[in-house]
Amino acid sequence: MFCRTQTTRAAIARGSALEMEIRRGKFRRSVFLDTLQDSDIQKKIDHEIRMRDGACKLLAACSQRDQALEAAKSLLTCNTRIMAYMSELQRMKEAQVMQRVARRSDGTRSSDAGPMDDRLPCKGKVAISDLRIPLMWKDTEYFKNKGELHRCAVFCLLQVGGEIHDTDMVMVDRTLTDICFDNTIVFSEASPGFELRVELYSCCSEEDYSAGSAPRKLASKLSSSLGRSAGKKLRVAMDPGACSPTSNAGAATLLLPGPAVAGPKYHLLAHTSLSLSHVQDSFRTHDLSISGNEECSYWVPLYGSVCCRLAAQPHCMTQQMMSGCLKVKQLGGDPPSWTNVYGVLKGTNLFCYHRQEDMEANVEPAFTIAINKETRIRASEKDPHSKAQSICISNQYGGEEVTHTLSADSREETHRWMEAFWQQFCDMSQWKQCCDDLMKIELPSPRKPALVTSKQGSLYHEIVIDTSDDISTVTDILTRRMQELELRSQLGTSPPWMSLFEESPGGPRTPRLARHSPRSPHRLPHSPLSSLRCPWPGLLSSDASLTSDSDSPCSTSPCSRHRGWAEPLSLSSPRFRPRTLSLDAKLSTLRGRGYGGVLQCSCQPPSSSSLAPIPAQCVPQATLSCSSSTSSNSSSEGSHSPSSLDGTPFSRPSSARRSLRNLRAKLDPRNWLQSQV
Amino acid sequence: MVEWEYNNYLMVVKVLNDFLSKLNSQCSCVLQQRIEIRKLRQGEHLILGFSIGGGIDQDPGQNPFSEDKSDKGIYVTRVTPEGPAEVAGLMMGDKVMQVNGWDMTMVTHDQARKRLTKKNEDVVRLLVTRKSLEQAVKHSMM
Repeated sequence: MFCRTQTTRAAIARGSALEMEIRRGKFRRSVFLDTLQDSDIQKKIDHEIRMRDGACKLLAACSQRDQALEAAKSLLTCNTRIMAYMSELQRMKEAQVMQRVARRSDGTRSSDAGPMDDRLPCKGKVAISDLRIPLMWKDTEYFKNKGELHRCAVFCLLQVGGEIHDTDMVMVDRTLTDICFDNTIVFSEASPGFELRVELYSCCSEEDYSAGSAPRKLASKLSSSLGRSAGKKLRVAMDPGACSPTSNAGAATLLLPGPAVAGPKYHLLAHTSLSLSHVQDSFRTHDLSISGNEECSYWVPLYGSVCCRLAAQPHCMTQQMMSGCLKVKQLGGDPPSWTNVYGVLKGTNLFCYHRQEDMEANVEPAFTIAINKETRIRASEKDPHSKAQSICISNQYGGEEVTHTLSADSREETHRWMEAFWQQFCDMSQWKQCCDDLMKIELPSPRKPALVTSKQGSLYHEIVIDTSDDISTVTDILTRRMQELELRSQLGTSPPWMSLFEESPGGPRTPRLARHSPRSPHRLPHSPLSSLRCPWPGLLSSDASLTSDSDSPCSTSPCSRHRGWAEPLSLSSPRFRPRTLSLDAKLSTLRGRGYGGVLQCSCQPPSSSSLAPIPAQCVPQATLSCSSSTSSNSSSEGSHSPSSLDGTPFSRPSSARRSLRNLRAKLDPRNWLQSQV
Repeated sequence: MVEWEYNNYLMVVKVLNDFLSKLNSQCSCVLQQRIEIRKLRQGEHLILGFSIGGGIDQDPGQNPFSEDKSDKGIYVTRVTPEGPAEVAGLMMGDKVMQVNGWDMTMVTHDQARKRLTKKNEDVVRLLVTRKSLEQAVKHSMM
């Protein structure tokens, strides 16, 4: 009987992923050799303990909140891994004990043999990527522009069997509409019956980190934060009655994870389990079970679902499961002639090459026989010419049944080929939809660490201007800052503000940068302009209003330059920024008065502009909406003005229209009520 | 290339600095003006031709025209061109202090609107304030 796990089987093709994994990690080989398993797990546990100690030390030493949150996250991950390894160790020991007991009682049974149909499906890679968890803030939260921003740090813990991975940490506040995790996490050895547990942990960012409780309390907290089932399993595994004395000693000391550490503590916010039925080559939405409520400090209002792409690549689809020399009977003709081919069974196909060298040279196969769910394979002994059995493979090609007859060199070879086919069928039936087509799993290339610039990225977050400050002080500060930061200008042409000093009207008109929608404000880095990481993205991408108001240079300077100040605020800061009153106010006093009431600059930056889509509508609409909203507010006391009168300002030149549009946006009645009289 | 643009930036900053200090040195006393607006009859309605914003029930932080962001007064947010208000000399950004003798510094938005749109009044006399700096700039640009 050929069992899949036997090392004598030449099933591992050279250079295949499986072989690489064996070469890379000892613990992979332990799949085939029992005795090394224990020591490997022990090694993993020791490694994690060392990591945990490091995280504890870091947590005690760090002063910055971000560092503390990251260290606490690593600590949680290490602890979870330790417990997983320990429970696995427990299970293995128990299995060994059971096996030994069974062997002793039934002497004839060999541990390797099993009934013919006790076939194990192949393992596979499972990858989860593009995790997105929508949030559901109350509407009042979106338009609030005052008050402290309540922030939470969140991350996800993903577990398949003994493999635990964590995502990067994301800071969540009310400017975010979704929590997005960009990581792609790949679990390399998952069986078709895998259970991918996704857990979302959160920690309030403004929490005062008081000293932790006694170690026992901490241990129980940790076990409960793993989720009820995992904790139960752990407690069962840790039960002194169940384990053998040798392992218990180690377990007992590890149960209490060292001295309690002061620092931020993550709590389980939501969890869900995904399995093979959720695997699909596209995005799907799954439900989340939410623990915790609004009263908790770590609460984040979740919508209740999680979107992700869960893909699986069974090994049978990516690796060569069987290869060898075969003879294929030519259809028709008597006496039948046989062609020698080199056959490779991979995925849902049997590729037949003329020679083995062709396969290695990546030449196209001579022909391909499909081996899929509809294929019928049977062995026959009917061929009188050769002693070996022949294998008949039948497929339906568009209503027509085509049968290929193959023959191997020897009986053993035929057996092995049949075995490979049966294994393939088993795998396909177990992995179901994953065997229809190969799902792509993109491993993220090792990226350089992200730029150190803070999320705000704008100088305005670092500058706090007092109302008593002089403008010159401000400009001095700004000049100094510019010298500190490198201004990496990618403009090949002259900067937009140069046209201020040119008399020619209508300088280079750059298209208005689209306001980022509330959907995912922090995804702005994808746009080419802000990828410059320049603190003055607004200036570099300033729109036509900066250059087009050049009817008279003097008149344009205050408001245009002011525009330059105002733009970065809305572009670079995805989150609410503290108001810099005086600079704006001072500059606003220099506004050019309207040439017919059209050209002006607004000083107050739209503080909620990153959230509410600024109506970048054409001006007539804005005005009409203004008047319509006021008419709905006002009583019929004659405050409604006919729209014809409103039509006149819009015959102005387009440059003025644009700046008018800016003011319209800032005077959005949603933000601030205005009435027409 | 980078240096050249950086120098440009510094030059801009210097120019801005000079300009601002020049303007600052001018008189910046607050100007009060009395404006008399004759309402225009358009069909059934009597209109003045401007829009107001503000009020003690509104968020003063949203006011783009006020210097003090806690100022909850009534401000002129828009002036219809060639409307009665513009003809009378009202300007965008003016703060309305009184209307026909009624105080407008401590009123709700709706109260302000009502005081301006009384049907039995043909004329409204406003007392407004505006920063003379703006006037100086406007005059210099005209």
